[in-house]
Amino acid sequence: MKLGVFAIKNLAQHKVRTILTLLSIVAAVAVLFTLLSFNQGYEAALKDQLQQMGVHIMAVPMGCPFESATLILKGGKIPAYLDMSVMEQIDQIDGIQIAAPSLMHGLIRPEEGRTDIFLGIDERMLTLKNWWKIKGSFFKKNNDIILGYNAALVELAEVGDQIYLPEYDKTFNVVGILESTGTQDDGFFYIPLATAQALFGQEHKITHIQIRVKDPAQADAIAGQLQNIDGLSVLTTAELMGTMLSLMGSAKTLIFSIVLIAIVISTLGVLNTVLMSVFERTREIGIMRATGAAKRHIFALIWLETLSLSLIGGTLGIVIALIGAGQIETVIKRFLPIAPQGSIVSLDPGNLLLCLAFILGIGVFAGLYPAYKAATANPIQTLRKE
Amino acid sequence: MSVILQAEKLCRYYRRGSETVKALQELDLTLHKGQIISIVGRSGSGKTTLLNQVGCLDTPTSGRLIIAGTDVTALKEKELEHFRRNHIGFIFQLFYLIPTINVLENVELPLVFARRHNRQKVLEVLELVGLAGKEKLLPKQLSGGDMQRVAIARALINNPKILLADEPTGRLEKEEKAPIMDLFQQLTKEGLAIIIATHDLAQARYGERILELKDGRIIAEHSPETIVRLRG
Ligand SMILES: Nc1ncnc2c1ncn2[C@@H]1O[C@H](COP(=O)(O)OP(=O)(O)OP(=O)(O)O)[C@@H](O)[C@H]1O
Ligand SMILES: [Mg+2]
Repeated sequence: MKLGVFAIKNLAQHKVRTILTLLSIVAAVAVLFTLLSFNQGYEAALKDQLQQMGVHIMAVPMGCPFESATLILKGGKIPAYLDMSVMEQIDQIDGIQIAAPSLMHGLIRPEEGRTDIFLGIDERMLTLKNWWKIKGSFFKKNNDIILGYNAALVELAEVGDQIYLPEYDKTFNVVGILESTGTQDDGFFYIPLATAQALFGQEHKITHIQIRVKDPAQADAIAGQLQNIDGLSVLTTAELMGTMLSLMGSAKTLIFSIVLIAIVISTLGVLNTVLMSVFERTREIGIMRATGAAKRHIFALIWLETLSLSLIGGTLGIVIALIGAGQIETVIKRFLPIAPQGSIVSLDPGNLLLCLAFILGIGVFAGLYPAYKAATANPIQTLRKE
Repeated sequence: MSVILQAEKLCRYYRRGSETVKALQELDLTLHKGQIISIVGRSGSGKTTLLNQVGCLDTPTSGRLIIAGTDVTALKEKELEHFRRNHIGFIFQLFYLIPTINVLENVELPLVFARRHNRQKVLEVLELVGLAGKEKLLPKQLSGGDMQRVAIARALINNPKILLADEPTGRLEKEEKAPIMDLFQQLTKEGLAIIIATHDLAQARYGERILELKDGRIIAEHSPETIVRLRG
């Protein structure tokens, strides 16, 4: 028999108590592991998405640029508009490869419980998003419409179908459908810019301009020049990401403090369980001492019991987190300001190690006191009959 | 016969509130290899205290204790733990087996702590005490006599020179007592020295010497023959 086997047998003595303690560790570790994984995955997915946009600078109307940017990415309605004339000023700036204006408008569809986002664009968008693959063709007439991949799925529309907008009593012909890009673009309804301006009553107005520069290293310098244009607020995708992450940061701190409390509680639970079992076995421990066990042997035994408890609980917690990662991800995505399309939970071996270290920490810490208590109990006192 | 244990003016006082309990007073004792000494006396006379002292479970208030040529009163705690493990075996009235593990594991436990795995030795000792074939049983499946045999096997696993038995037959059925005492006698053939503390004069009779304690002092010595008369 190994000492570890003996430790496990001792734990098995009180099944209910051991299982309850295990559960608290399982829960704490599962939450910790999920959060860590989520956090990393989210950053990675966000970075990916911004890179994929192929857009280095976003110009929006003056106001809170971050808020607007969030709205754009999330697909909300922009509170203010830019005049088309800014495009001429923008085109004068050196180093810009392409600047694509668009007018965004959301049509709320309460019966369907969704908002359809219409984006007025022109050929410049096609140049900017040179990775777009359109099944069908680009606009030829002003009542043509192109559907994003998901929008087409929702509308069950094919090229050649018609889409009727009852709000405006207007019918569009579907001339193209975007192949899936894995970005927000998939969800939009694209119509010619001029049509959109007329239809939504925003003549000569746009909501935002997406810009690609020739050399990404120059993005900041060019953004500075753009900033000088009246009424224009500018931010680079790098900035955007930083802001998103710092917004996430405060939420993160809150969540991690909750997890920390959970961990403290489960540590106390472990400590309590082991301490109780030490008290119950006072006499058993005395007899082990009398039959040849040294203080350090008793210490090792009790410590091992605590470590086994936390290791088993922790491993189960990680396994549960791994199995549940998919479900947890769908839940979390609903609450995020920006939910990237890809997986936001990354299962990183580093996180695994971190969690294991945490579990070990619980075990080591919670085991110290009971083990000390047991080791230093006077065997003669414990063996005296009352 | 060679001396295995020598106690000189051994004292153990306990403090109980303001008064001092003199549980052991200037006790002299010599134990030889292969010898059984019985300690008798009323409850509270100091029998257990004496066993704890000579078993190095507790340090004397004063006096000297020499075991196998080593002055154990001079040893540090760690050395004492080590010394005890290799020289002393303990058994008790209530057996004190670990209920969750089987016979074999109970006997093996002292080795487990010291990481000296030796399955062969465990089986040999179990055979010696008459438990061959019962290795896989749990303590609660055994009779009192067999439980005490397990405790004896556990005490013997580290090859002690001295076995200390505190009321070893106190909880046994009448017919179980003699076989255990016979086992003790058999063990002395290998040179093991045994001290048995007991109330039971019928069992005390197995001792070559029988010392009577009162208030922590030896007040009389009996022989196996005279003790029988004392009973009547
Ligand atoms: N740890 C202790 N603290 C205080 N007093 C103690 C302690 N241990 C023993 N005593 C006292 O020392 C005296 C001797 O006790 P001991 O247990 O040695 O007697 P005993 O002969 O073994 O009795 P019994 O036959 O009941 O087992 C008693 O008066 C007892 O109350
Ligand atoms: Mg006693």
